[in-house]
Amino acid sequence: MAVTISIPTALRQYAGGNGSVALESGTVGQLLGQLVEQHPALGKQLYGESGQLRSFVNIYVGDEDIRYLQGPDTDVPDGETISIIPAIAGGN
Amino acid sequence: MITLSDTARAAIEQHAAQSYPHECVGLLVGRLVGGAKHVTEIYRAPNTWSAEVGLTDAEHEHSLRDRFYLDPRDYIKADRAARAQGLDIVGCYHSHPDHPAIPSERDRVGAQGVGGGTSFSFLIQSVRDGQAAELTSWLLSEDGARFIAEECI
Repeated sequence: MAVTISIPTALRQYAGGNGSVALESGTVGQLLGQLVEQHPALGKQLYGESGQLRSFVNIYVGDEDIRYLQGPDTDVPDGETISIIPAIAGGN
Repeated sequence: MITLSDTARAAIEQHAAQSYPHECVGLLVGRLVGGAKHVTEIYRAPNTWSAEVGLTDAEHEHSLRDRFYLDPRDYIKADRAARAQGLDIVGCYHSHPDHPAIPSERDRVGAQGVGGGTSFSFLIQSVRDGQAAELTSWLLSEDGARFIAEECI
């Protein structure tokens, strides 16, 4: 078993075209770090210049936003899915 | 280029008209083949904009008539349902009540989380006096600086 990271459509171009990536379990921060190591172009999409996750990028473990868990320190057990979800907003 | 099935196009028009005078929002589900997107169905999402979502300090002066927000939990639901059918989310749509189907600066700012490129379209359905009017499609440039008109069939 491993952890699956689900990549949204528009970011797949920065992840070798993959819709999901399987990694060994760890914390959210460690797993996203591994993901960016494998696919460096994703880094700029996910993180700002200060190294913080961009405010309009949401990271969910299962059905929970990591902002309401332990943030990047949230443990992700085997078999769980991390979803990278874009915020979409606007208006005329 | 993006193509819409007749049912997808009709469903967007219906959602936009039913939501009038508020803005509606949803996701486009279909297949991505090369650079072309083929939308077979839509996912209607509730417009969950609130002042807390605000992108500027003056957001409280606005309302669902001129703002939209798609809850990430709705995106997850739609994404899971799409993947289960071997489909992808290939774009999103929202309406412009009594306003042209041209993206606003706020639309551009609110699209930054998606990322630029040709794999995700931003559709805008104009609604005038409660009746669906023109539909346009846009791509966000790679650097996120502007929208580029996209052929929509």
